[in-house]
Amino acid sequence: MRLPTFRIRVLSALALVFGCGLAAAVAAEELKLEATLVWGTNEAQSPDPKHKPVCAEVEKKLNTLPLRWQHYFEVKRQKFAVPDAGTQKVNMSKDCQIVVKNLGKGGVEMNVIGKGESVGRIKQRLPKGEVLVTGGNAANFTGWFIVLQQAE
Amino acid sequence: MTDEMKFELLAYADGELSASARRNVEARLATDVGARALLAELQMTRQTLGSNEPAQPLPESREFYWSKIEREINRLESAGERRAPSPILQWWRRLILPAAGLAVLALTLSVNVLPGVGRGGSGVEASFPGAEALTYRDQAQGVTLVWLSYPGEDEARDYEAAPPDGDWL
Repeated sequence: MRLPTFRIRVLSALALVFGCGLAAAVAAEELKLEATLVWGTNEAQSPDPKHKPVCAEVEKKLNTLPLRWQHYFEVKRQKFAVPDAGTQKVNMSKDCQIVVKNLGKGGVEMNVIGKGESVGRIKQRLPKGEVLVTGGNAANFTGWFIVLQQAE
Repeated sequence: MTDEMKFELLAYADGELSASARRNVEARLATDVGARALLAELQMTRQTLGSNEPAQPLPESREFYWSKIEREINRLESAGERRAPSPILQWWRRLILPAAGLAVLALTLSVNVLPGVGRGGSGVEASFPGAEALTYRDQAQGVTLVWLSYPGEDEARDYEAAPPDGDWL
């Protein structure tokens, strides 16, 4: 039966066309992101009363990483939106900023700025549920982290 | 009675003999009892076969019967043939196939050609001047860690108690 086969081809092609259209529409959307500055330590309590433990979801993600700290405290959390092909600068602390560029299709480029200087750039695809953690050593055998993910 | 005489009797019963041969056979039958008996048996057999042949009467005329068969053959042949597509279908076919190819190409490019960004969260591209960056990925949890370390920072912290450059907290 050739006609049904042709119909299947037509439907498949239409599905592809509409799928691509949908993907393009999604790609053109702005990215709603959440960046969290996290302090990692082995102390159960942070000396800074403003610090609070990170949320359970972030803690679970951090605990899967090969890090030496047992406790993670949220220093600052920022929600922001980056338009398609746009850039957004976010202050995470007095000396730390991030500049996030929306590359489209869920891709981001994060420029980490420390003490006014660009420390480096990271390009990463960041779909919902994906977490990008950038970190390094801090004073007194502690660690700092920037946790970037799509906002809920 | 010879076989030739038997064949002549058979031909006589079927009415196939000429007038002179028929007269000879009739003269023989008048004097030969065996010939008359064989002729009677042949005629009876011929009559029996002719009257008991099963008849196959057609419920309709011969022409109508065969025209029905012809129409059925034509119908089956036309059903088996490929139906000619309508102009709209032909137009769609010309349009859809190239469009499908372009769609596949666009989808492939959109997934794979985004610079520096891989599929499914992998493919981190990091550039950290003056620092060493280690990348760790937990695919199951969807977590990517980019760890920055500066040359000598551990030694500096351990022996000089000086905060590393990454200390922005």
